[in-house]
Amino acid sequence: MEVRALLAAPAPIARAADPDAELVAAARAEPRAFLGLYDRYFERVLGYARLRIRAAAVCEDVTSQVFTNALAQIGRFRGDGTFAAWLFGITRNAVRDVQRQPASEPLADQVAITPAPESGPAERFLECERSERLHAVIKLLQPEQQHLLALRYGAELGFDEIGAMVGAAPGTVRVRMHRILEELRRRYPHEDA
Amino acid sequence: MKTPDDSKLWLLERDLKQLAEPRVTDEVLRLAVRAELEKRLQPRRLRSRLRLRIAFGAAAVVAVAATALVALIGTGGSGGPSAADAAILDHALRAVTLPANMILHEKVVLVGAATPFMGEWWQETSPPYAGRWTKGQPGHLGEGSDNGTTSFSYDPSTNTISQQPDSAPPTFTDPLSQIRQELNDGRAHRVGTAVINGASLYKIDLPNGLVGYFDKTNYRPLYLDDPQRDGSVVRLKVVDLRYLPMTPANQQLLSIAAQHPSARLDTNPGGAPAGK
Repeated sequence: MEVRALLAAPAPIARAADPDAELVAAARAEPRAFLGLYDRYFERVLGYARLRIRAAAVCEDVTSQVFTNALAQIGRFRGDGTFAAWLFGITRNAVRDVQRQPASEPLADQVAITPAPESGPAERFLECERSERLHAVIKLLQPEQQHLLALRYGAELGFDEIGAMVGAAPGTVRVRMHRILEELRRRYPHEDA
Repeated sequence: MKTPDDSKLWLLERDLKQLAEPRVTDEVLRLAVRAELEKRLQPRRLRSRLRLRIAFGAAAVVAVAATALVALIGTGGSGGPSAADAAILDHALRAVTLPANMILHEKVVLVGAATPFMGEWWQETSPPYAGRWTKGQPGHLGEGSDNGTTSFSYDPSTNTISQQPDSAPPTFTDPLSQIRQELNDGRAHRVGTAVINGASLYKIDLPNGLVGYFDKTNYRPLYLDDPQRDGSVVRLKVVDLRYLPMTPANQQLLSIAAQHPSARLDTNPGGAPAGK
């Protein structure tokens, strides 16, 4: 598998300094400083969950669970990789645990999409329908592909940041992402195009 | 020039970003989860009342918080508000109602929390709702802006502004959007007055625990309290709330480039796929 090879490959780039190192050190000395890391990563973790999970309430619970677990385990974080890599590892596991549970269809009002308030009923319906189709095709991807996709479009991480997480050059991640998009596009023909 | 393939990829990327787009209720969720984390950071004897609440999960906590915000506007009892209260509530609604073609400047800070948090917004009150904001911890503020078609973020460590096309037109969302929306429902109920920092304020006490305080002279919201079960209070303080005229100088406040004129502009952050 290409993604597995990508993840297993030694980092061809020098490891960048962890931008969160200062806050992590503070949090290990004084746990209350963890809230600074929470503020920094809340939106990204929630975005990651929203890209992989359709039900809004489940996304919120996953986000809560991720930070609860991270707070409990921050003392075990050794700094071998970046804090972001560690945190999104926890996020990935939390999503996996949710997806392993017996499927239950979310109610319409639980679907993880909030159309713009000014949208008309028809537009809202189309947006919900589009969201549902897109989530369905994302679930057809390999878990590793879903992870990379969520890091990029959910957590809005750059290729360099993702590369630092998975030990690959940004260009390698970029190529891999392009292939994932092509695969998605084949399964998700866009009516606007 | 974009090929049809490029166009399809761009549409796909737009839809992917839309899945993860922030929602207006995210700030409520953020505060709710934050409050739970703070409780976990407290000594065990103070946490005994917390366990049941945690067991409900974040979604339930957010639902409670959202309900509380809605209840801010509730009738508060069997009868509607008195005539005097109705007049006060009408003034409060006017104070938060957005005048057209102005720029809203709003600054809020979280007080009473272990880690300080602050946010500041400048946003057009009419389409295209261009705006700029900073938020985060003092010393670690993130900064972004949107001009209606393109979003920007500023990285102070590299003095770089990254730009990306919007996946959807921006809407007006500030920290008080929820209160504004619910006040507009016309079901608020004033329950009394309170003195904070020497100032006498109108107080709206909510059944689910949130408390809003409004200035008696201009009726603007000054504080929103979230009392915790251990007796502590997480308070959102509205430091500034004003409407600025759309002058050229004020319009500069909406532009991240105008605030950082020496910054480098990155039009392809992260090296997005260029297509075939």
